[in-house]
Amino acid sequence: MLLPKFDFHEPLTLPEACQMMSEFGRKARPLAGGTDLMINMKKKIVSPEHLISLSRIDELKAAQCSGNMLKIGSCVTVAELTESELVRKNCSALCTGAKALGSPLIRNLATIGGNIASARPAADLPPSLMAYNAKVVLKKSSGERLVLLDDFFKGPGLTELQADELLTEIQIETPPPYSGCGYINMGIRKAQDCNIVNVASFISLDAPDGLIKTARIIMGCVGPKHLRACSAETFLIGKKASEELFAQAGEAAMKDCSPIDDFRGSAEYKRAMVGVLTKRTLAMAYEEVRSEN
Amino acid sequence: MKKLISLTVNGKSYQIATEPNQTLADLLRYELGLFGTKKGCEMGDCGSCTVIMDGKPVNSCLVLAMQANRRSITTIEGLESEKGLHPLQQAFAEKGAIQCGFCSSGMILSAKHLLDKNPKPNEAEIRSAISGNLCRCTGYQKIVEAVKGVRG
Ligand SMILES: Cc1cc2nc3c(=O)[nH]c(=O)nc-3n(C[C@H](O)[C@H](O)[C@H](O)COP(=O)(O)OP(=O)(O)OC[C@H]3O[C@@H](n4cnc5c(N)ncnc54)[C@H](O)[C@@H]3O)c2cc1C
Repeated sequence: MLLPKFDFHEPLTLPEACQMMSEFGRKARPLAGGTDLMINMKKKIVSPEHLISLSRIDELKAAQCSGNMLKIGSCVTVAELTESELVRKNCSALCTGAKALGSPLIRNLATIGGNIASARPAADLPPSLMAYNAKVVLKKSSGERLVLLDDFFKGPGLTELQADELLTEIQIETPPPYSGCGYINMGIRKAQDCNIVNVASFISLDAPDGLIKTARIIMGCVGPKHLRACSAETFLIGKKASEELFAQAGEAAMKDCSPIDDFRGSAEYKRAMVGVLTKRTLAMAYEEVRSEN
Repeated sequence: MKKLISLTVNGKSYQIATEPNQTLADLLRYELGLFGTKKGCEMGDCGSCTVIMDGKPVNSCLVLAMQANRRSITTIEGLESEKGLHPLQQAFAEKGAIQCGFCSSGMILSAKHLLDKNPKPNEAEIRSAISGNLCRCTGYQKIVEAVKGVRG
C-alpha cells in the first residue's frame, strides 16, 4: 500500500518545528507516532505535501510535576503513560485509558498529543483527560495559548488547532484531596478494538466522608465529539455518594448523550451502556476517594 | 527526493538512500532483502511487520524509513546466532507454534521483548504481549505454550 509523495522534515527543536509549520501552513502535517496519520495517508484520505516529524524534539517527550501541575509533553508515548509512576499516582484513570489503547505495538508509537489532535470521538485518552479538567498548550512561532480540552474538540477530526499550531503540552492540576476518577472502555475485544462506548467520571468530596463538591462525567462514542454529561454532573453536586445515587446519575447521563446507530451497536444499546458505565465509573472514582483515606 | 540515512540492522551498519514515502517495512524487505519481516494488513492491525526499534517492538508498516535514521533495528533474521536458533524460534518449531508461518516473525519478536523485560511472565502477560500480533491459523494456544516453555 503506497504512501502518497511528500517532503519529510525532522526538526530538532520546537522553535524550528514552529518555523516550519508557519512556513508550510496547510500544506504540512505534524507527524508524531504516525499510527493515525500513516493510515489516513495510505487510504489517501489526506496527502500533505510536507510531513514535519516531531519525534526528535526532546522537549516534547518529558512528563514532570512542578508544584501542583502535571505537565505531559505531547510526544510522550502511550506506552510511557502506562509505565509512568507520576501518571499512575496523580491520574490513575489516564493510565487505565492508556493501557486500553490499541496493542503493545501501537502503544510504543502512539503519542498522547496524536490521540488528542486526531479528535476521534472513540479515542481512549480524552475522556479521562477531560475528567481531570486538562488543558492543552497550542504553540506557534508568534506565541502560545492555553485551551481547556473541553473547548478544544469541535467535531470528528475537528479541533481548535490552527494550521500553523502545534499541540506541545498537556497540563493537569493534580487532583484535590478526597477525589477520584474512573474510566471504562467497552468494546468487543481486549486489544486492537474501536470502543463501542467509553466513559470517564471524576468526583471530589468536600471532606473525607463528605458531600460531592465537583463532578465531571465524559462520554465517548455517543456524539460528534466527547460529551459532558451535564445534567448528571449537576445532579450529583451537594449529595452523598452511594450506589443508588450513581445509578440515578447514570440514568441522567443517558439523556445527555446523542448516540447513532452503526455497525458497532444501536443507538439504544449505546445509550443504555452510557447509563451502566457512568454508574460503574462513578463507583470506581468513589472507591479511589476511599482508598486514599 | 531521496535522502541518505544510516541505521543499524541486526548489528550491522547500513547507509541507504531512501524516498520519504518508503516505510521501514519496505526498506527492510526491498532494499536489504530481509523478507522475514512480513507485510500483512499494512494498517497496524496484524503485527506481521513487527520489528524491534531502539529496544521497542513496533509495526514497521507505520514507521517511515527516514524515521529509522540513526536508530537500531532488530528483525527476525537477527535472532539466530552462531549457537543456532534463538530459544524462542526453537520452541516455536518444536511446539507446533508455527503453522503457515506468516505471523511467526512478529509473534517471536513481541515475545522476545516480553522475556527481555520480564523473564517469568504469567499466561495473561504473554497473551497481552502478543495481542498486537494476529494468527489466522488459530494457533494462539501453541504459541502461548511455546513462550511458556522458554521463560526462566
Ligand atoms: C491498529 C490500531 C489500533 C488503534 N487502537 C486505538 C485505541 O484502542 N484507542 C484509541 O484511542 N486510538 C487507537 N488507535 C488510533 C491511534 O493509535 C491513536 O489515536 C494515537 O494516539 C495517535 O497518536 P500518534 O502519535 O500515532 O498520532 P499521529 O498519527 O502521528 O497523528 C494523528 C493526527 O494528529 C496530528 N498531530 C499529532 N501530533 C500533533 C501535535 N503535537 N500537534 C498538532 N497536531 C498533531 C497529526 O498531524 C495527525 O493529523 C489505533 C490505531 C491503530 C492503527
